[in-house]
Amino acid sequence: MLELSINGEAHHADVTADVPLLWVLRDVLGMTGTKFGCGIAQCGACTVHLDGQPVRACQLPVGLVGARKITTVEGVGATPAGAAVQKAWLDLDVIQCGYCQSGQIMSAAALIASTPAPSDADIDAAMAGNICRCGTYVRIREGIKKAAAEHHA
Amino acid sequence: MAIRTRTVALLLGAAVVIGGGAVAGRMLFLPGPLDFAGGTRVALADYKGPSPIGVPAKLAHASLIEKGRYLTDAADCRACHTAKGGTPFAGGRPFKLPFGTLYTPNITPDKATGIGNWTDAQFLRAVHQGISADGTRLYPALPYASYALMPDADVLAIKAYLFSLQPVRQANLPNSFTFPYNQRWLMGFWGYFFNKDKRFEPIAERSPEWNRGAYLVEGPAHCGECHTPRTLAQAMNTRQKFAGGAAEGWNAYNITGDRTTGIGAWSKPEIEAYLATGHANGRSVASGPMREAVDLSFSKLTKGDIAAIATYLQTIPPIHSARLGAPAAFAAASHAQGPADNPIGKRVFEQACVSCHAWSGKGALVADAQLTAKKAVSDPTAANVALMVLQGTGPQTAGRPYMPGFARSYSDTEIAAVANYVTARFGTMPSKIAPRDVAKLRAE
Ligand code: FES
Ligand code: FES
Repeated sequence: MLELSINGEAHHADVTADVPLLWVLRDVLGMTGTKFGCGIAQCGACTVHLDGQPVRACQLPVGLVGARKITTVEGVGATPAGAAVQKAWLDLDVIQCGYCQSGQIMSAAALIASTPAPSDADIDAAMAGNICRCGTYVRIREGIKKAAAEHHA
Repeated sequence: MAIRTRTVALLLGAAVVIGGGAVAGRMLFLPGPLDFAGGTRVALADYKGPSPIGVPAKLAHASLIEKGRYLTDAADCRACHTAKGGTPFAGGRPFKLPFGTLYTPNITPDKATGIGNWTDAQFLRAVHQGISADGTRLYPALPYASYALMPDADVLAIKAYLFSLQPVRQANLPNSFTFPYNQRWLMGFWGYFFNKDKRFEPIAERSPEWNRGAYLVEGPAHCGECHTPRTLAQAMNTRQKFAGGAAEGWNAYNITGDRTTGIGAWSKPEIEAYLATGHANGRSVASGPMREAVDLSFSKLTKGDIAAIATYLQTIPPIHSARLGAPAAFAAASHAQGPADNPIGKRVFEQACVSCHAWSGKGALVADAQLTAKKAVSDPTAANVALMVLQGTGPQTAGRPYMPGFARSYSDTEIAAVANYVTARFGTMPSKIAPRDVAKLRAE
């Protein structure tokens, strides 16, 4: 039985150590906010935070999480950076179909938490691995700048 | 005057003959595999201690077929004698050599297309001397110069195992060698000089573990066939023993005791972990042909045999590779530091690589994804980096993290750029691989 700290709560999962964290979140714990896109760390849909760092849950064996704190899209609104991103996303209507957006929000929140005024190059470096089939990239970039400005104001 | 000119000409001529003879001699007469170790070579029968040949003790009472299976794994026959997606041992795997393409033959016991009619003597002659049942000469792509070290009993155990398999009717594909390389009889000369056709003899002063390792490494595992550079005549240049060679476009790196470009700084448990699982933490991950060797061969050997191989490898004299950089420290954690002159490479890296490898090269998810300190990132040819990007790497078993191949996602220009970005960011000898080089590797 593995113990995981997710969004500030302890969860238990009866899985082997090599199961990817994404499977545990969605299939075992029923937390389906985090999405499955590619399964090979190439789309970003499954992004969660481990101690505030964005990671792809689809390629992370759950046994390697250890005591690190997991934050998912269900809990990121409780962090100041996450709340700022969600507000900017609503203000600018960033979302189209929404499938990629849990991952976009998680990557964006991690970026603005660590970077007060992200440049375009900073946004590329942090967000290029998050793919959006609907092409909301322009609004995502705008949303990040707005959220960063409000968060660090 | 005339006399002086003639004397000079004669002297020059003599110098050319002697010099040429010396060069030819150096090329034709190479040290044997264990010459570096000194000591007294003894016949197997006279060796005091457990026998270094055959199967490990736990299989001592196994059937001949089971012993043969172990030795077949140790000799990794399956890797070459199986086509991609094909039946094991039915042959058909292509090898692109400088002179044309060679297809491995069917070695299942089918009587029409395989080796079902071969006698023991014919099988021994093929494995030891590179002569097929019908008398034609085999190319040394079959590593008979190494397999010649295996005693008859071990080779015949392999034959017994192969003959226990289901026969597969699959005709051999013709090779595409051009003249003069299609003249197989010429291989007779090659064999005369470069295959001593001598069975393994242990060294009396060395431990049984060392001798077991020596047997496995030099004989069945045939490590030198890829890790030792070749002479012009395509023989293993044993003066540069294990200093690095090539296989199917990949560089097979230095595995001598050199501390920066070889494996001299690796601990014995690190070498063992690498062989048994394909990953030594912070040191190396097996990819390409070496991944195959791990999956099909080393991972099937007993702990004792892996330890013996490591013991032996740790005694290989160090040779420094001038064309391989020393390991670098971790790169900066920020994208903003690092190579600034390669925007295409950086763009591909941030799209496709960073989520697993991290800007620091430490690896973002699993330890295998560390780029820092890997030999491939300090290899100025960038061949292995480009091949990993093209083909992917890692255990592709369900649920295990692995690296996908990007051959169909990125152009030659993009793959060349990202390979150069990776060597510049994480290594100590930046590469300048060109798109046309990537195109060639794509064809491997
Ligand atoms: S599902 Fe994890 S990156 Fe695509
Ligand atoms: S909003 Fe539809 S995939 Fe991004």
